[in-house]
This record gives sequence, C-alpha cells and structure tokens, in this order.
Amino acid sequence: MGMMNQPTALEHVLITTKVEKIINWSRATSVWPMTFGLACCAIEMMAAGAARFDFDRFGSGIFRASPRQSDLMIVAGTVTYKMAPIIKQLYDQMPEPKWVIALGSCATAGGPFDSYHTIQGVDKVVPVDIYIPGCPPRPESLIYGFLKLQDKIMTSSMADRYKEIFEAVG
Amino acid sequence: MANDESPYVYDLAGAPNHQVVMPKTVPLPSLKTYLEEQAAAVAADEAKWAKAQADFEAAKAKAEADGKDAPKPPVRAVPRPDTNDMKFPAPAPATDPDLLYLQSVLGAKVEEAFQQAGELTCQVDKSAILEILTLCRDDRALGYEMLADETATHYPAAKDFAFAVVYHLTSIRRCKRLRLRILVPEGFEPESAVAVYPTANWLEREIWDMLGIRFQNHPDMTRILCPEDWEGHPLRKEYPTLGLGQRDIDFREDRSGVLMRIAMEKAGNLGINIKPPKAE
Repeated sequence: MGMMNQPTALEHVLITTKVEKIINWSRATSVWPMTFGLACCAIEMMAAGAARFDFDRFGSGIFRASPRQSDLMIVAGTVTYKMAPIIKQLYDQMPEPKWVIALGSCATAGGPFDSYHTIQGVDKVVPVDIYIPGCPPRPESLIYGFLKLQDKIMTSSMADRYKEIFEAVG
Repeated sequence: MANDESPYVYDLAGAPNHQVVMPKTVPLPSLKTYLEEQAAAVAADEAKWAKAQADFEAAKAKAEADGKDAPKPPVRAVPRPDTNDMKFPAPAPATDPDLLYLQSVLGAKVEEAFQQAGELTCQVDKSAILEILTLCRDDRALGYEMLADETATHYPAAKDFAFAVVYHLTSIRRCKRLRLRILVPEGFEPESAVAVYPTANWLEREIWDMLGIRFQNHPDMTRILCPEDWEGHPLRKEYPTLGLGQRDIDFREDRSGVLMRIAMEKAGNLGINIKPPKAE
C-alpha cells in the first residue's frame, strides 16, 4: 500500500474512475441539439449557436438536422395543437439518451397565448428536463440552462433509466 | 374534451376566457348607416326640444289657471364645440373616378360606394362578385391586377346578413387600392375568386377555416391553419377563446408498439423478464 497520500507510480499515468462517470462526462460534453425552432425563441437559439455566444464551447454547437442524430430537443417557441403530434413524433425518433429544454414562456407554460390553439406548456406532450423562462430568453439564459442540463447529466445514473423496470419486477 | 381520468385536465367551464359576450351592434363601415345615424341624432334632438316646449306650454297654462307667475321659457342648448382633433374620419359620398366608373358600368349591382379616410369602398351584389372582380382586373380604366388580401368579418347582430367578405385590390400600375365588399348571410356560398386571382386560393381556405364560409368552385376547400379535425371556426364571435378546440392532447403514446419492443429488449439485455401489459 505504501504511504496513503502519495500516488503510486501507476497512478501517475492512470486515472481511475467509474464507467458511469466517464460515460456521463462524454454525454454531457457532446450534447447535440436538434435544429428545431417553432417561433421567435429560435432566433435567440440561433444567436446562442453563432459566434458571439458560441454554444460550441460546451460541445453542443453541432445542431443536427435529423432527430436520429440528436440528443437534445430545444423546444424554442409556441407549441400549437397542430404542432404537438409532430413534436411528439420527433421526440420518439430521437435515440436514447435524450433530453428536452423548454425555451421561453410559451414552451414552458403557454406564455401570453391562453387561447384555443396553444398548448399550455410543452410538458403536456414530452417530458421536459430544463425550463428556461423569458420572452424570449437571452442566449445567456439558454447557456445557463444548458449548464444546468450538463449538471443533471453528470449527476444522473444509468440505473435511473431502468428504475421503472426494476420497480415493476420488484 | 377533458375527463377526470386524463392527466391533463382543463377546467373549461370555469375558465374566464371560456365566456362569450356577443356583440349587440353592427360596426360595419357604411355611408348609409352613418347618414342614418346622423339623421336619427338630429331627429332625437328635435324631439327633445319639442317635448321641452310642450312641457313649457303645459306648465304655463297650469300656472295661469292657478294664478301664479309664468315659468321660465326653455332655452335650447347650444351644442358644445367639438375640440377633439382625434376624430375618426367619417364616410363621404363617392367622388373618386374609379368608384364613379364602377357605378356607371355596373349600375344596380353596386349597392353602396363611399370613401373614408382616403380609402375606396364599394359594396357590390354578392352573386355578381366574380364578374365584378374580372372587370376590376381586366378593364383598362381600372386595372387592379393584384388581390392584396381577402378576408371576412362576422356580424352576428346584423339582421339580413352574417358576414362581410372583403376583397382588397391593388393596382400596381396606377398606385391605387380598392376595397370590394359583399354581405353574405349564413350558409351562402360565394363564388370563389380563384378563377380571377389565383392568390385567393389560400385566402379563401383561411376564411373557410376561421369563419366557416364555403366558396363555390374552389379547387381545395379544406382547412389551412387549424388541424383537420378541428371543431368550429375560431374567428366567429360565438367561439370562445378557450374551449371548443382546446382539448386533451390525444395521440398514441407508442406508435405501432416500437417503444414497448425496445423496452423489452433492454430489459432482456439486463436479464429481466417482463411481461407486456395487456389492454383491459
């Protein structure tokens, strides 16, 4: 064993960690969002992805045009009844693991559109991980929300995914 | 609609914007109505003055019979000078050459023509709208080659019509605009303007979607904004802003059982045997 606080020769060249942690680290630092804007919040999302705010710094600047290649759905804008089945279908087409950010007041809670055609929050259609308020939120808000999502990914456990199945079995 | 077992329950009956207040007036811009209103106001003023005079005469006769002093004669109120400079422009009789030309060519088919705030409005016979649109487009003196907008308004308080369908025509060559208007009752199907102006296609679909006016000979009379299975027409006055269309989101959670199969595979990879749930 040797001295407790002295790294051994092996530890100078090796880093020991958990598989789960390194998987979470790789997932959190390469979250690929889907190119998916519904209304004016998408403009802020574009600004966040462009050079000034530079979403690429967090490994998530690669906006994918296909749900099959993306990990994150940023619901940026008003969700109408006509759009809801399409959002659900896109969410179903995304491979696991997948996360959802509700960007702006409309996607969070319907916003000012308390009317016949608007769904009062996208969480009635798909499960949401991060809610970002604002009308529209500034790119800093999106970046802050995204950092929160990274925290969530880093603290998540793979067992959580199968929790329901474990509970069903008992 | 919402039921108690659904995870998403809207209190539709209790929602404040579920209540509908129907309008009692017909705010249709019209020279005829404006003149009638003005005449009615003058007549009401005259009647008030006549009543005041009659009351005075009666009071005077009564005072003479009782041997008292005569009452003061009434003074007619002078209308207060209107210093409000934010007046809404009143409709005026047609003086524009286009409106006069339309009146001379179409004759009785023009129901009303007036100008208001520099805008030309021509209310025409609803069954001759296609012919009149063709004239406006092809006539050399008019030459309205573009249909800028076509829309409609609901007037539930009106007696002999329910909707006003308006056509906003633009002449790019002459830099002029003209508004044609037809008044249609509930259930009347106007002739579609697609034959004259192809851009009317989507505009008329929007009118059908929002107000429920069908157009004859339209190539594709389907909804354009709302989903295909929508109930009602949202821009009608009797439609609540929250209510008829708002409902629980009803689509299949698991399309063709793919998610269930994936879950089974994942559970199998973990060495767990689970049974698919059976529908009750």
